[in-house]
Amino acid sequence: MSERIAVKHTMDLAWRYASGEAMERFCADLSDRRIEALRCGGCGRRYLPPRPFCGNCRLRMTERVPVRDVGTLVAWTVVHTPILDGRTGEPRPAPYGMGLIRLDGADTTLNHYLAEADPARLRVGSRVRAVWRPALRGAMDDILHFEVLS
Amino acid sequence: MNVDLHGSIGVAGVGQSGPSAADPRSIPEMVLDAVERALGDAVVRWVDIDAVVTASVDLFDGLTASNVAVTEVIGAVMKPETRIAADGLCAAIHAACQLRAGACRTVLVVAHGKASMAPRAAIEAWAVDPIFLQPLGVNFSTIAGLEARLLCDRDPEAVERWGHVVARRRADAAPHGVAAAVAPEDVLAAPVLASPLTQAMEAPPADAAYAVVLRADGDGLPVRWVAAGHDLEAHAPGDRPLSSRPGLRRAFDRACRSAALAPDAPFGLLEPSCRYPHEEDLLRQVLGAACKSAAISPGGGLYAGDAPCAAGLGRLVDAARRLRDEPRLGRALVHGAWGPAGQGQAVAILEAAP
Repeated sequence: MSERIAVKHTMDLAWRYASGEAMERFCADLSDRRIEALRCGGCGRRYLPPRPFCGNCRLRMTERVPVRDVGTLVAWTVVHTPILDGRTGEPRPAPYGMGLIRLDGADTTLNHYLAEADPARLRVGSRVRAVWRPALRGAMDDILHFEVLS
Repeated sequence: MNVDLHGSIGVAGVGQSGPSAADPRSIPEMVLDAVERALGDAVVRWVDIDAVVTASVDLFDGLTASNVAVTEVIGAVMKPETRIAADGLCAAIHAACQLRAGACRTVLVVAHGKASMAPRAAIEAWAVDPIFLQPLGVNFSTIAGLEARLLCDRDPEAVERWGHVVARRRADAAPHGVAAAVAPEDVLAAPVLASPLTQAMEAPPADAAYAVVLRADGDGLPVRWVAAGHDLEAHAPGDRPLSSRPGLRRAFDRACRSAALAPDAPFGLLEPSCRYPHEEDLLRQVLGAACKSAAISPGGGLYAGDAPCAAGLGRLVDAARRLRDEPRLGRALVHGAWGPAGQGQAVAILEAAP
């Protein structure tokens, strides 16, 4: 049974999210292929993407530490549901690989696309490297995805 | 009002509307149905309700401050209402706090969710960080796939076991739920959602409303609310150990301390809010010996239908009914979760009256 009267409503609103100072700096650094984490002065944890506050220690973070663009695949999945890629506005064909990556020099993990979508070629613990956009522009998608090294 | 702050809280009545795949009624109609059933079950009148606590989330309802649209049907006109924008079990915890504080004698708790109104995955994607994660298309099922991968990487038999767990839950849920039973091999062979999870492993979205009447001085009632705990983990999934649930551990420990229970005190019944089978593994990790002999989701749990924001209160309704019908089960643990990768965790302990 369906509704006798169903009113369809499309919410056509746009939001403007402020990324915050730490993320602005993070993006600007990407244009130089530089990645920096913020380190907590209390627990020493190096947060990436950087954010201004350590929730565990309740401390503001200001110390920047360098992070390499290579790291370790901590977890992976292959997603079979197509999505609208928010970075391009175009549909992203499925299946595609998605990983949790701990870059060398960081303690938290980063979600990102994987170049590989074949489960037989993905392994927890694999080394991965960022694939950079040829013309960098200081934006989040300067890193296109990560490729498996071995 | 004179309320014994140290007296017990009782579950006086429960009611529900749904779950159904697509309820043709409006949200107020669904909610009214559940509330009337709960009041009838508790044998109380509208006038007996001192306060109301509701749980809902605006984006699911397509309405800003969506609780204001159900004010009449929850009997909250000219009464205090508090709205929780989290899982329905948190609304029950808030109601229990009001009773413990002596502010009220009888509180109505209501949670609703109508998944059929809009794409669930798209709405849930708004619960992750909009700067870094949303542009990547990360949503709850993607994160669940990553969690499940971590578990099955350590336990090669996990995926096959999950197939059997889901088949069991779906068979138990089929008589009253929104989805049919599925054989274990078909669970595993279903189209992939986010590997290693298949589409059949995800609890089906549903429309439902649940209502519970909690009462102070509940000693004469067949089911008592004993204790509760809740906890939040960091928002960013990448900051967390996704192969464990420390937030659930802390919530559970708080509830046990509050109830003066040892952490390995046995439960006869578990009603977890597990949308994916690996989440049951995470729950068992936390509970350990406490859940060894427990019946888990005898009615199929969320596999009967997973109504956004309402699931945890639905577990409370199911647990209270089961304890009334089978008091030999003794003690039940009810679980609610919300947010990406179960960022928010809540538990409540119920007991059948001796």
